Amino acid sequence: MIPEIGHYALVLALGLALIQATVPLYGAARRDAALMQLGTSTAVMQFVFVAGSFAALTACYVTSDFSVANVFENSHSMMPLVYKFTSVWGNHEGSMLLWVLILALFGASVALFGGNLPVTLKANVLAVQAWIACSFYFFILLTSNPFLRLAQPPLEGRDLNPILQDPGLAIHPPLLYLGYVGFSIAFSFAIAALIEGRIDAAWARWVRPWTLAAWMFLTVGIAMGSYWAYYELGWGGFWFWDPVENASLMPWLAGTALLHSAVVMEKRNALKIWTILLAILAFSLSLIGTFLVRSGVLTSVHAFAEDPSRGIFILCILVLFIGGGLSLFAWRAPLLRQGGLFAPVSREGALVFNNLFLTTACLTVFVGTLYPLALEAFNGEKISVGAPFFNLTFAPLFIPLMFAMPFGTLLAWKRGDLLGVAQRLMTAFAIGIAAIAITFAAAGAEHVLAPFGIGLAAFVIIGALVDLAERIALFRAPFATSWSRARGLQRSAWGTAIAHAGVAVTLIGITGAATWGTERIVAMKEGQTITLSGYALTFDGMVQRAGPNFRVLAGKFTLREGGGVVGVMEPSKRTFGARGMTTTEAALLSRGVSQLYLSLGDVNGDGSAAIRFYYKPLVLLIWLGAVVMALGGALSLSDRRLRVGAPKPAAKTALQPAE
Amino acid sequence: MTRKQRRLTLIGGSLAVLGIAAALVLFALKDSIVFFNSPSDVVQKQIAPGTRIRVGGLVEPGSLKKGENLQISFKVTDGAHEVSVRYQGIVPDLFREGQGVVAEGRLEPGGLLAADTVLAKHDERYMPREVVDALKKSGRWQEGEMNADAHVVGKKP
Amino acid sequence: MSLWLAFALMTAAAIFAVLWPLGRRKAATGGSDLAVYRDQLDEIGRDRAEGRIGEAEAEAAKIEVSRRLIAAADAAEAGQASAAPSIAPSPWRRRIAAMVGLILLPVGASALYMALGSPQLPGQPLAERMASVRQDRSIQNLVAQVEAHLERNPNDARGYEVIAPVYLRMGRFADAVNARRKLIALSGENSERQSDLGEALAAQGNGVITVDAKAAFERALELDPKNTKALFFIGIAAEQDGDRHKAAAIFTAMLKDAPADAPWVPVVREALTRVGGTPPATAAAPSAPATEQPGPNAADVAAAGQMSEKDRGDMIRGMVARLAERLKENGDDVAGWQRLLRAYMVLGERDKAKSAAGDARKALASDPDKLRQIDDMIKSMGLEG
Repeated sequence: MIPEIGHYALVLALGLALIQATVPLYGAARRDAALMQLGTSTAVMQFVFVAGSFAALTACYVTSDFSVANVFENSHSMMPLVYKFTSVWGNHEGSMLLWVLILALFGASVALFGGNLPVTLKANVLAVQAWIACSFYFFILLTSNPFLRLAQPPLEGRDLNPILQDPGLAIHPPLLYLGYVGFSIAFSFAIAALIEGRIDAAWARWVRPWTLAAWMFLTVGIAMGSYWAYYELGWGGFWFWDPVENASLMPWLAGTALLHSAVVMEKRNALKIWTILLAILAFSLSLIGTFLVRSGVLTSVHAFAEDPSRGIFILCILVLFIGGGLSLFAWRAPLLRQGGLFAPVSREGALVFNNLFLTTACLTVFVGTLYPLALEAFNGEKISVGAPFFNLTFAPLFIPLMFAMPFGTLLAWKRGDLLGVAQRLMTAFAIGIAAIAITFAAAGAEHVLAPFGIGLAAFVIIGALVDLAERIALFRAPFATSWSRARGLQRSAWGTAIAHAGVAVTLIGITGAATWGTERIVAMKEGQTITLSGYALTFDGMVQRAGPNFRVLAGKFTLREGGGVVGVMEPSKRTFGARGMTTTEAALLSRGVSQLYLSLGDVNGDGSAAIRFYYKPLVLLIWLGAVVMALGGALSLSDRRLRVGAPKPAAKTALQPAE
Repeated sequence: MTRKQRRLTLIGGSLAVLGIAAALVLFALKDSIVFFNSPSDVVQKQIAPGTRIRVGGLVEPGSLKKGENLQISFKVTDGAHEVSVRYQGIVPDLFREGQGVVAEGRLEPGGLLAADTVLAKHDERYMPREVVDALKKSGRWQEGEMNADAHVVGKKP
Repeated sequence: MSLWLAFALMTAAAIFAVLWPLGRRKAATGGSDLAVYRDQLDEIGRDRAEGRIGEAEAEAAKIEVSRRLIAAADAAEAGQASAAPSIAPSPWRRRIAAMVGLILLPVGASALYMALGSPQLPGQPLAERMASVRQDRSIQNLVAQVEAHLERNPNDARGYEVIAPVYLRMGRFADAVNARRKLIALSGENSERQSDLGEALAAQGNGVITVDAKAAFERALELDPKNTKALFFIGIAAEQDGDRHKAAAIFTAMLKDAPADAPWVPVVREALTRVGGTPPATAAAPSAPATEQPGPNAADVAAAGQMSEKDRGDMIRGMVARLAERLKENGDDVAGWQRLLRAYMVLGERDKAKSAAGDARKALASDPDKLRQIDDMIKSMGLEG
């Protein structure tokens, strides 16, 4: 009964979405308040039904109802409870259901918390949101239905792909989807603005919180995915420039650009058309991300859920929304009133600089990801574009962007004083150069570029501090004044500084792990000791254990530094009976923000074990930086101003007499 | 500055950045891409030694040999031809004889591939797409072998 | 019944969501741009205080924003004035919307659901299935015991023979294939073993007759051209290859040679109809009592694979009952006893298995060799005591 209720709930959600996609739109065109209001109630009820549907599927997983084909394919009765939950979205069908759940969640949030929006805009936004929802409901029901049943349910499921039985996977896809799908709101606002043919500064302010929320989730989601790949795939790499990773990076870059251009639009009423375009692009790239992962068109280490036939359907959705969105843009955008221009050296100019570099970087990633596909379609040649390509193209674009970051935050609106800003950044320069010198002295000149990476990061961090200090007039005014100013400072200012510092923290992590990391790949005999970067690792022997639905073969290793024992490391291999698969579980040992990473290879007949042993200096900063960025976003989001409180009743009555 | 000048600065700057990016992309594409070949391609195309390539196919059963110091050698086959591969290091968990594999490295004189990367499938149902194509070409692929939906009895549209 | 009630309630909730706003008198008041512009004016003041904008620029910006504020206020006023007549909306629009909600939504949703859903299938949480049919637990135990036994005696062919069909039933197809292979390696091949292997391989391929499976069936036919299971699956393979003629020919030939009361006849007839052939009219009625082959033979199992859970259970029980009848009359058949015990274990009827074990011992008491065989099996199933 439960699976069928879930199935019917999904069908009803589709029905409501179809109504939501049409009636409010008509209502907005005719200014019929009741019809527009319909968008709100259907959006909320649609969310209720999708949530019910998702809950039903989850219930099937938790109770191991193998009469549901999807559960049989991806679950196992002996699996720990937490993985019964996570396997709901550890497969294609379930993950698409999660996708629409989040889409409906965002739609319902606009419906419930969008009281401060003009009614026609809200109706149009909800209608566009429902168009997206409809196409995905159809996609799920017709090609990827998680509620198909088995008349003769087997007694045991086939288990979730063991590589996905991991806490990292529990949080990674939902976060990523919250980010991807969050951009749908920006898209819907953009399309609604194009339909209404009216866009102004207020629009940017309404879009900002949604974009910011989506961006935060995407940031953390990407970091989570990177960390998961780092410890689960057993290679010790944190970013592979794999198509699926690129697919999440592109919307992030476009979304970051959108966040910044929306500021210009909001404050200066400029860059309007560009911002609309970015909103369309950010969501389009999210859709492409979904397409890349779900269709399996690209060979990828992540391709655990591939099926070309579904790809065609997604391709149609893609063409419909990206093509449709851009066509509407081409048709309507010229009708929008142009915004003002501004001086190149100004805050606006700096934000344009930011947008230019971010979108160009996004473009190079796009080319690198899709070029193999285009080439194969064109002449059948199969190529792979690997890390060297991206390192060569992406890094040169990101370095000037980071260098410009502190300048941008310090420049004044409308007309800035570059020289003055440079003077105020003297401290940051000095510390940056000192950092370069110290790094050179400490690490030697073996990696010439690395000290500059550290120096740049130091410059950006200190630059962010200088920005805060300037705002509260630290050292220029009495401390008490500064303190009261600091308390009165908008949270978004804090948020900006913290997010920018987070980027620098990530840069330090990448520099450290990529340049000063050391590794050894050897076959070790029991009792043998190897050394790496001052650490001595002794192999104490193998042990076997049984897990809930797998068997463990673990190696015991003792790590010593300068004679004293630092810790015990236990890398292992898990063999999952149901699929006959083995996964490698690396052992991680953190030393401050650096890590030692040990993973187990084959165990040979003579009792020796092949191991990979890495020393990854500063590696944790990569993900810590992302968390700091998201924290900055959260702080900014909590700023009261962003919420543009519903118009105060007093203000309304003041307006009434004008009637 | 006049409006026109401002506009020109903006457009000029954008073009400059895009131009630099395009140059970087072209340069990188020339230098850092790797072509995928099936074993038949390697044998028939006369690829110059020293070229960096990817070879995909099945690990030929019985060809896997383990040597000292984590050295391994095996043959990649697409049913028609095979390529010998040498690799030092740890192979992925799902690397097995008779299973799909992609090896990347430099081709040595004599047709031996000195691989520095060996990729295997992630899951028993997944096979690298390139391997599937290579096998299809040589007729070793059975349609339907991967058809996971055949047993679903719920109504399907 | 309660399922349809739940559907009805859900539909009602959905309709309510559509009708509710249509019935409301008061239109929702939305926000406007004015608040944003006012906020922007405040912000310019703040920026000025922090030195984020020059004095002259701040003034200019304030004027800009004020201009927009005034324009927005004017627009809002004009909009309210012009929108006033349609705030009292024409009732026919609401009526159409209400009709959509009341009729189109439930009709469309039910139509789509009936096309996609399987309301006839109840949910089957594992725990419930375990509780209602205790067989599952005993199967798990049995499997665990046999597995432990095989771990100690990896060359015990009989162990593999016992466990292979159980694996197949549990959906552990890879294990079933392994067990079947092991059995052939240990006790040599014969037609039946090859076709059993093929069946396991086909199950592993989700019902697709893979190359390996087909090879096994072909080998089985080489050993015994009359092996019905192998014939049947080769027919299915032809059907899957799209060669309906060949499939029809195979099925027709099977029916022609079929013993009048063979229990697999209906399944083959169905398959034949599926590939477009006409079953010969003379074939026996499926309900004819089977006396010649009362044991669950290969084709029965194959046939059972195509039936629903309930039908299959009934069919297996029927076959087991017939087998028990026959053994009561003729207790000399040690293979028959073994099959019966296995069948009871698979069905979860442990008590019956126990009593059957007692009967078997009694019936075979005169023949020490056969007695030893049946004792071994009883031991391996843990049926003693």
